[in-house]
Amino acid sequence: MKTWPLNFRNSADGSVLFCDEAGGFFRSSEAFLERYAMGNLNNDDTEFLLRQGHAFSSEGDFQYVAFASRWANRVTPWSDLSYVILVPTLRCNLRCDYCQVSRVTEHATGFDWSSEELTRVINLLDGLKTKSIKIEFQGGEPLLNLADLQKVRDFCRSRFDHSEFVICTNLQSVTAEAWAFLDAADTHISTSFDGSDANHISGRTKTQAVHDEFEANLRNAISRFGTERVSALPTIDVNNPPAPEEVIRSYVNFGFQSIFLRRVNFQGFARKAYTFHEENQLWKSYYRRFITAIIAYNSVNEYKIEEFYLAHLLRRIFRGGHHNHVDLRNPNWLGADYLVIDYDGRLYPTDEARMVTRIGKMDLSIGSLKEGVDNDKLELLNAEVSINFNPDCMLCPYQAFCGSDIVDDLSRYGRIDLPKGQTYHCRSHLDLFDLAFELIYSDDGKVKSSLAAWLGVPDFCSDLAPSLS
Amino acid sequence: MISLQLRSAPLPISEPLVMRLNSAKGPDLSNCSNHDAHLIDFEGETAEYEFRGFSIYVNCQNPEELDGDVVMLTPGRNILHRLIRKTSAHNTLLITEQCDQKCIMCSQPPKELHVDLFDAFSEAILLAPFETTIGLSGGEPMLHKARLFEFIAKANLARPDLRFHVLTNGQHFEPSDLAALKNIELSTVLWGIPVFAADPDVHDKIVVKSGAHAKLHESLALLGSVGADIELRTVVMRTNVNGLPQLATHLATHVPYAHFWAMMQMENIGYARMNWDTEFSDNSRNFSPIGQAISLAVTKGLETTLYNFPLCTIPEPYRRYSVRSISDWKQKYLPVCEACNMRTSCGGFFQWYPEAKGFAEIKAL
Repeated sequence: MKTWPLNFRNSADGSVLFCDEAGGFFRSSEAFLERYAMGNLNNDDTEFLLRQGHAFSSEGDFQYVAFASRWANRVTPWSDLSYVILVPTLRCNLRCDYCQVSRVTEHATGFDWSSEELTRVINLLDGLKTKSIKIEFQGGEPLLNLADLQKVRDFCRSRFDHSEFVICTNLQSVTAEAWAFLDAADTHISTSFDGSDANHISGRTKTQAVHDEFEANLRNAISRFGTERVSALPTIDVNNPPAPEEVIRSYVNFGFQSIFLRRVNFQGFARKAYTFHEENQLWKSYYRRFITAIIAYNSVNEYKIEEFYLAHLLRRIFRGGHHNHVDLRNPNWLGADYLVIDYDGRLYPTDEARMVTRIGKMDLSIGSLKEGVDNDKLELLNAEVSINFNPDCMLCPYQAFCGSDIVDDLSRYGRIDLPKGQTYHCRSHLDLFDLAFELIYSDDGKVKSSLAAWLGVPDFCSDLAPSLS
Repeated sequence: MISLQLRSAPLPISEPLVMRLNSAKGPDLSNCSNHDAHLIDFEGETAEYEFRGFSIYVNCQNPEELDGDVVMLTPGRNILHRLIRKTSAHNTLLITEQCDQKCIMCSQPPKELHVDLFDAFSEAILLAPFETTIGLSGGEPMLHKARLFEFIAKANLARPDLRFHVLTNGQHFEPSDLAALKNIELSTVLWGIPVFAADPDVHDKIVVKSGAHAKLHESLALLGSVGADIELRTVVMRTNVNGLPQLATHLATHVPYAHFWAMMQMENIGYARMNWDTEFSDNSRNFSPIGQAISLAVTKGLETTLYNFPLCTIPEPYRRYSVRSISDWKQKYLPVCEACNMRTSCGGFFQWYPEAKGFAEIKAL
């Protein structure tokens, strides 16, 4: 019998978590670690390792093929461009403290697509191989350039077999024409609501009157289109966070089931106004309090809610093939299946890359509509998007579930090759995965009930948290 | 119950004869092939079809129900087999009645004699409706694998729209079959393969063949490595019900390339009727191991479904995993179902379901 390489990490309770590269895991002891490291596995060990898929008897046998299949399913395949983030305007009618993209004022000129750029956008879309397209309109406030949104949507509907549109809007000021535009089954709304009226007013709307307009629009959107087509996420300032219970209450009150808790982004305007040192600990403890509050809420309510990112991590822990969330995947190919096109026709691998470039930190654009993709630069970036052979990640038990974020690394440290263990992305994900595994191995029935809801099954069975004594 | 065989007057033929019945009176020449038979008369309970200058007499209640059916007559017999019914999603060609396993719940116990009907089947599928899925079953169809592979490969060329659902015990795939497998369009075939337990002894006991579990896993790995579509099938019985959670983990771990897993309730016919009293596991009383197995498999990414379980015997949170699986021709509802609001989404019962010794709790929802 041969055992596939096991990475391990001590847990807070003194046990040791073991994971293989295909995402299989179990909890055991220092004594097993000793036996594993010294090659002194006993019969119970080998029986367990074979049964749980951590070993094989001979090359090419069914355990071997199964491991290969599970491993391959953890790898994000390269795929054709089918998800395009479009920024038809940088103008905005709000001036949020933590705006990520240095928006300009509502009536500024020169910050919308020119007619030539719009034509180039359409031409790029027309040249895609995909039959199914997802378009996300970002800004600025995209509804301020409704005419271009309409043209792109009309084109996509006629060009692709299936098309889907997401309008990332602040829902601050929605004209009758904009409501009519949003009233379509293929069109979704993604907005921001910071979890409490006080926080939303303080960070975004500034006055009660402006805030009331937003809230009325959000309620109107939900009543007209339902939460299947309207989603919201809160941006949290760790120095002034809303009480988790209040955020949960507000979101449930709107009818939302999923809350994607986002920290004020390091990119864009925010980095000038906010300090990011010594706040990681604050964020970690707030996030944990939030999850505890969700579990408590779920334990007494039929209608279960989730924190999107933790639920996503759990789904990635238990299943391969979850490559649809571009923030966390491996390899996180840049310039492949998704792409950002800015108001001036510049191309970016991610929205964060656009923000980093916009504040003048470094140019992370990968070409323009006019000149095409800068393949040399893209190749340079893509050299570091896999964590499979990164010296730090190779020994990390969470490797199979994690991914890379080189734009974040570049933004924070100005370099692509900092040892991963020193990056914010790595440290924050270690914390998140530690939390996820604490929950997976929890004996608390309330935790199990939430886990089942987040994983979309009726019951969370203890066999899902294997242990070897 | 829908009849799959109809009485007919014997014809002087030496080979099986395949034709498509057209029941609109008077031949429709716009859609005429030399395999089309046309209704020319219907009197009493006898429909007369014109076929290549001969008259075919078919005993039936209503010839309109046969319209578009692909049927087969065999030499010296007065039976007309409805091979492919136009309006049904449950058409299955019986490749052979031979089998090398004797599964204790088998609904179609094996017979020694084999008659090769592949040539007739090849003609029949050419007449099938567009984009039909056709079951290829037995017995064990892979006992005649050279002919089976050849049949599918030919069908892929002639009718690329057709899909096949092959029910096989997974005992006969060999590395030497790889060339033949690569010769067929794998996306058109779903291989339905039974696995009864994670424990080899329990599996082998159920299929009454020693070493079957080990051979089955070699076959699964071989199919998985070429990217074949696999449906794992597990009939729930007293012998294996308590091992279902372990089986769920086993399948998600060791057959992760399977497309989905179906847990099935027993069908009271064949060997299953003989073993019903000792093997029928009443899930209306104890659903727990099945529920756990679903939650485990789904959490680990293996899509899981329930076949042949009446909805009222499944606890509410698990009903969404149930599909209407019982073939139309052998399905029924009970009198209690009259008042049920879920009837349209429930598969009901097999025709031969024994009420007296069936589920303890059947109720209208």
